[in-house]
Amino acid sequence: MNIQFSWKHGLIALAVAAAIGCNGGDSTATTPTVENKGTEATPAAAGRKAPTAEGNKVEGDVIKVGIVGSLTGDQKPWGEDSVEGAKMAVEELNAAGGINGKKVELITGDSTSKAEGAKTAAEKLISDGVIGIIGEVASGHTIQIAKSAFDKGVPVVAIGATKTDLTQEGTHVSRVCYIDDFQGPVMAKFAYEELGLRKVALMTDNKQPYSQYLSKTFGDKFKALGGTIVKEAFYESGQTQFSGQITELKAETPDGLFLSGYFTEVGPIAQQVRQAGLKDVKLMGGDGWDSPQLLTSGGDAILGSFFCNHYNNKEDRPAVKTFLDAYKKGHAGKEPGTTMAALGYDATKLMLEALKKAKSLDSKSLIEAINETENFAGVSGTITLKGFNGNPPKRALVVEVRPQSEGFQVFRKAYEADEIK
Amino acid sequence: MTVLPDLLAGLEFSTLPQQLVNGILLGAIYALIALGYTMVYGVLKLINFAHGEVFMLGAYTALFTSWSFGFTQAGSRQDSSPGILIAMLIVSMTVCGFVGVLIERFAYRPMRSQPRIASLITAIGISLLLQYGGQLFLPSSPPPSISDKVNPFKGNIEIPLKPADSALLAQAEQLKAKVTSTKAAYDEQLKSEKDSFNLSPVGKELRTASQDAERDYRNAIDKANKDALVITLPQGQVIMLVTTVVLMIILTWLVMKTTAGRAMRAASLDFDAASLMGINVNTVIAFTFFIGSALAGAGAMMNASFLGGTKIDTFFGMLPGVKAFVAAVLGGIGNIPGAVLGGILMGLAETMVIWAGYGNYKDAIAFIVLIVVLLVKPGGLLGSNKVEKV
Repeated sequence: MNIQFSWKHGLIALAVAAAIGCNGGDSTATTPTVENKGTEATPAAAGRKAPTAEGNKVEGDVIKVGIVGSLTGDQKPWGEDSVEGAKMAVEELNAAGGINGKKVELITGDSTSKAEGAKTAAEKLISDGVIGIIGEVASGHTIQIAKSAFDKGVPVVAIGATKTDLTQEGTHVSRVCYIDDFQGPVMAKFAYEELGLRKVALMTDNKQPYSQYLSKTFGDKFKALGGTIVKEAFYESGQTQFSGQITELKAETPDGLFLSGYFTEVGPIAQQVRQAGLKDVKLMGGDGWDSPQLLTSGGDAILGSFFCNHYNNKEDRPAVKTFLDAYKKGHAGKEPGTTMAALGYDATKLMLEALKKAKSLDSKSLIEAINETENFAGVSGTITLKGFNGNPPKRALVVEVRPQSEGFQVFRKAYEADEIK
Repeated sequence: MTVLPDLLAGLEFSTLPQQLVNGILLGAIYALIALGYTMVYGVLKLINFAHGEVFMLGAYTALFTSWSFGFTQAGSRQDSSPGILIAMLIVSMTVCGFVGVLIERFAYRPMRSQPRIASLITAIGISLLLQYGGQLFLPSSPPPSISDKVNPFKGNIEIPLKPADSALLAQAEQLKAKVTSTKAAYDEQLKSEKDSFNLSPVGKELRTASQDAERDYRNAIDKANKDALVITLPQGQVIMLVTTVVLMIILTWLVMKTTAGRAMRAASLDFDAASLMGINVNTVIAFTFFIGSALAGAGAMMNASFLGGTKIDTFFGMLPGVKAFVAAVLGGIGNIPGAVLGGILMGLAETMVIWAGYGNYKDAIAFIVLIVVLLVKPGGLLGSNKVEKV
């Protein structure tokens, strides 16, 4: 009797664990068919469906624009920065007189760092009458937003969602960041050519579609360059002990380790890798590392590692300087902690610029106008969406993790979009 | 018969000893948490589902204690000492102990005369309350982690089981001279380069030479070490294991040798008879909750400080809690040595699955093991096989 009761509750606890464990940004709701598309879809793959729904129209004197961000939960650093960036773009536009004399109002929705939360937030924003949605940072969250927005015909400009097949959700989705088909190869090229690595092991977060696909693109390019992927080990978001996986990797004597997951697990992994005696192995990762939190969770073990990012505060392009000066003015002299402030700013500004050019102030015209974007001068680089199916060719920067006193991420090398493949 | 060699062919036996050690280290923590489940069940016949949350609060207590010692997020303090770790351990254990007593006093005691299902649902309620209510007043987004500076024991202990090939090792050492010379040449060149990642052609050549020399050297070392067998034990994890063993010895002494322990055993044997014999069962139950929760606190403190960088949020205790519960049932719930055995077995099962190359099923194995044990021996490994009346 007791055992049976305990069993049922054990199962309840397990089910809850499974539901809550997904807080990193994966969506268990995505169907396998959509998931599989990712492996075949190329950035230029055509055949995006156009939403048939009418979308929202601007009524009255206020243009409502929505943004979904992780304002609570694991990914709060990204959510907060992206919303701050978006606010700046809106304030600048309103100060310059708005669009056709109408002011823009930014409505924020909290995804709570979960795919379900992102979906709920997006649906709420759409019913509030927003003409377009900006967000999210995590690919798993953005897919949910894109699906909800497709049904209602509302455009989505993703901030940091790099998963390649995201824009296949429809013509209403586009982004301002590079895609994983680009950042994986960039890191592979950097590892092979600059760091001189030949035997790399992969560590993949099996709960994050982002991580799975990034490991794949990195591995494919690294092998194509002539290197060897000695082993791939798997873990799951929320795990705290990695000694089993690390022992298996250590037996293959890799000279580099590619950690494609998010910063929440990368830090502890780095510490345990060093504790297991792998002192010289170079650690590398993607833009999922981009949070100063990495320094707290990774400690000394993470210093000297490299990851791929969208832009850097220390770049000497004028656009970056202007953006940082304006940002510091509104934030007591502090620079943004992650790149998501700049990308959030770019995504919002891109949407607002498109709105200026749109035939009329409604979602449908806005979708058309966004897809016509050419040579938009963003903080993170020039963005062209026309002819690229929502995936702008962007440059990527490889940065080194340094102590906070040196500015956390130090710019090392830039790769232009046409340098890969 | 041909299946077995095929299965074995894919296995890397050189990592087996290390993985066994990893499994025991992991299992020790499960055992520590499982003790809390099993002790409470032994006395009250109640599955305390809030136990994982006590574990979570233990991690937060350790975090706040480390902050009060100056190991904040900003990383102001660099030096640590064993004294600080012991202080963190004692504070975590004490706070968790009292949290356990409070939960018992205000949630379970009013339910004690009710049907047992009411207590179970209360337990789940408390668990959810602490998980979600905790978000209101505990820092959880972004999840903090205890600074790696807290743990002064960073090195590792290496136990060589089989030495490296000394002839090959000597050969490898001869390559070292080239590594040093090419590195020196590259470093010299770097002085005249302005950016080490956008080198001049000469710089690139020297860098490639340096990298090649180092790779040759490392490959030679790896070749010499190919058949060597070394078990690497991170010092922090060894301390975890030793502390766990010490705590278990103290627990055994408490339960077997002291009056309070005897009262506890009496209450677990027959609750009503014990109270008729003049044992204050309320005190015994509070004592049981205190000890069980303090052990969870110790486990949480060690988990969060020695496995550096582990993020702490209000769901920190959920997965360890579920796994420790399985460990307790596996060993025979209500049986103290059974909980330890179950914990170690769970840890071993998990690492063995990774070792066998099925890391994806790491968490599933816990439940597969449980199902098998319950089918074969419903009372658990060390539990009594008494059929309970429904």
